[in-house]
Amino acid sequence: MNKLIALTKIQVNDFLSKYTQYLNVKNKWLRILALVLPALLILPALQLVTKMYDAFSSMGFPELTITYMYIGNVMMMFFAGIPFIISVFFYSKDLKFLASLPVKNDTIVFSKLATVYIYLLTIGCFFFGTSVIIYSTREGFQLLSFITGLIALFLSPLLPMILSALIIIPFMSFISRGKKRNMMVVAGNLLLLAAIIYLQTVLVSVEMEPEVLDSILLQEDGLLKFIGRSFPPSIWLTKMVQGSVINGGFFILLNIAFIFALKLVCHLLYSRSLLAFNQEGGALVEKGKIYYKARSKTIQMIKRHIGIIFSNPIFLLNTVLNMLIPILMFAMMSFTGELTSGIFTSPMLAPYIIYIYAATITTPAIIGSLSATVITREGKAFWETKVLPISTVDNIRYRIYATLVLSFAGSIIIAIAGAIYLPVTYTMMIMAIVFCICGTLFFSTVDIIINIERPTLNWTSPTAAVKNNLNVMLALLIRVVIGGGLYLLYLMMPNFSANTIILIGSIAFLILYVVVNYFVFGRYKEKFNNIIP
Amino acid sequence: MLVLKNVSKTYDKKKKVVDNISLEINKGEIIGFIGPNGAGKTTTIKMITGIIAPTEGSIEINGMDISKTPIEAKKNFTFVPDHPTIFDAIKGIDYLNFIADMYEVSIKDRRERIEKFTKAFQIYDALPQTVSSYSHGMRQKLLISGALLPNPNLFILDEPLVGLDPHSARILKDLMKEHCEKGGTIFFSSHGLEVVENLCDRVAIIHKGKLIACDVLENIKKSKDITLEEVFLEMTKDE
Repeated sequence: MNKLIALTKIQVNDFLSKYTQYLNVKNKWLRILALVLPALLILPALQLVTKMYDAFSSMGFPELTITYMYIGNVMMMFFAGIPFIISVFFYSKDLKFLASLPVKNDTIVFSKLATVYIYLLTIGCFFFGTSVIIYSTREGFQLLSFITGLIALFLSPLLPMILSALIIIPFMSFISRGKKRNMMVVAGNLLLLAAIIYLQTVLVSVEMEPEVLDSILLQEDGLLKFIGRSFPPSIWLTKMVQGSVINGGFFILLNIAFIFALKLVCHLLYSRSLLAFNQEGGALVEKGKIYYKARSKTIQMIKRHIGIIFSNPIFLLNTVLNMLIPILMFAMMSFTGELTSGIFTSPMLAPYIIYIYAATITTPAIIGSLSATVITREGKAFWETKVLPISTVDNIRYRIYATLVLSFAGSIIIAIAGAIYLPVTYTMMIMAIVFCICGTLFFSTVDIIINIERPTLNWTSPTAAVKNNLNVMLALLIRVVIGGGLYLLYLMMPNFSANTIILIGSIAFLILYVVVNYFVFGRYKEKFNNIIP
Repeated sequence: MLVLKNVSKTYDKKKKVVDNISLEINKGEIIGFIGPNGAGKTTTIKMITGIIAPTEGSIEINGMDISKTPIEAKKNFTFVPDHPTIFDAIKGIDYLNFIADMYEVSIKDRRERIEKFTKAFQIYDALPQTVSSYSHGMRQKLLISGALLPNPNLFILDEPLVGLDPHSARILKDLMKEHCEKGGTIFFSSHGLEVVENLCDRVAIIHKGKLIACDVLENIKKSKDITLEEVFLEMTKDE
């Protein structure tokens, strides 16, 4: 047990240190504020949960907020957990060290899962945690609901995490055989995620006949059982928060059973999957020709920065998922019949089509935030470009160019797909494209400031470089602020046409880009030079 | 070729890692830079190569200040670090072409030099393979080949012999000598005192951030009967 605690402590410390490293703030209070700032992202969650609570409360079933948020939480944890598990289990640099230690296989597996647990719990705090607080306080503080809600919150990552681990670890050892291993890992995981989303969407969507609805409403807990039928633990959890000891017992026992199930197969997971995968890696040899070809410095440097993403399945999976998420979701929802092209031709939606189109094609820059980790992704190889005969301005610029290339590539794909499905005119398309270009230029440039301020170059698992990183949270925060600003702009100009508002938004982005550009290539040039590899 | 004037490096305004070093290296010289662990060797080399900036003092390479005219200064040297960590998802030949493009080496010269160095180090056949499949020693040899590719005026190496087999170490020493005979200058750090003794024109010794000696070997040793190792141990002995 002591070994498990010691190993878990090291893993968790390593995981958390990447988050708090390089805060670059000496003042204690400012340091705390910098850490707390990303927690502001809870505001949209609070708004969503409050609205949901009000809706369910008016129907007389406020507890369904808990059920809904828990199911959503489990889906999100599945989605976020799979790439994270791959990263800490298969692409972590510490396996050689861990494998040589005199500890049991399950100790290694559980200590690694401890970091996954913390990561998923953080995700859970935003939406599920908020729902627990709203439910137990809205109608006056209910201590029992609050305590059982907290227990539910702390247990919530276990099921999706263990299920993900049980699926993904053998799955990875299966798909990773052969020469194109990295490609297989990315493609296989995209397919797996698509399958999970599809399954979840199919389970949740049911043709609702009026008489079926009537019979559901007539039954005690009918609606709860109906919503929770795709994932029964959600019913037990909801009843546990309502005070049911038996259901609470069921829920806790289920989690314990899963932990034991994982313990039973730990040895197999470790020897047949984890070690096997890492042994396969040694044979990664590609044959080709020796060539001598001159290219420009710009092309070489952009190729290098894009190559860093494409060479690491975790970086690539993260990039592809972030950039093509609208297409993935759209394809899934169209496939399951949740979304039809008819929805977009509705006259109610007509005034908002340009906003939808402009926002969707700018998604790669909004969600991607690739510049926020462009230096970190290089890791210990960062020294290479520092000794090359290129200026600091160019060294920064090439990184931004690489982000732009990837973001625009994603935007082009989404723009084509969007133009097919959405009833957009040529004018709308041009306006939206201008908005997308200005927005992408701004986000790609402003994000690099975050990475220059926080250039974590020593990381153990690639997830620490691209996800478990305050940089990404700070980038998200910038987007929340900008999004709020644009919404305010929209509210302040009720008489302006959508095209004019999009144009004003584009000009605002352009001005912000010029300002940010001035800082990046001015003050931050010096800071970039001071990064110590 | 390389001039360090009163160079110091302080971290967090408290910890002085390099303390007022002045050093002048002439064209065609091989200088060995030695010192105990944590003496400040790597920090000094990082300042010379522009990876970090000195807190005080100036560094000139071929008359160009690394802080004021970094690109011009960097065109004059190449560097091999103490750890062969490079972006390793590319092929060996991609890496060498990348370096050649950065230093604007012509197609004719790059072909000639790549063949010469990689064949000497016996990694030529591995060039179409990804660097991630290379052993530590092969990576080191690739980095050295890449650093020699632009035929730099100044060749800077930090612990270059670590990870090399005796055969490759010998080849590197021969290439270093050849480079100097052709007018190049070499500045390298090492813990292998025998190598320094056999290879260098002058030896610089750093201890606790201060340069405690920089002279030809005979003057440092003072007597023929004493080895560099004995002198080094005596000079860097803690009181």
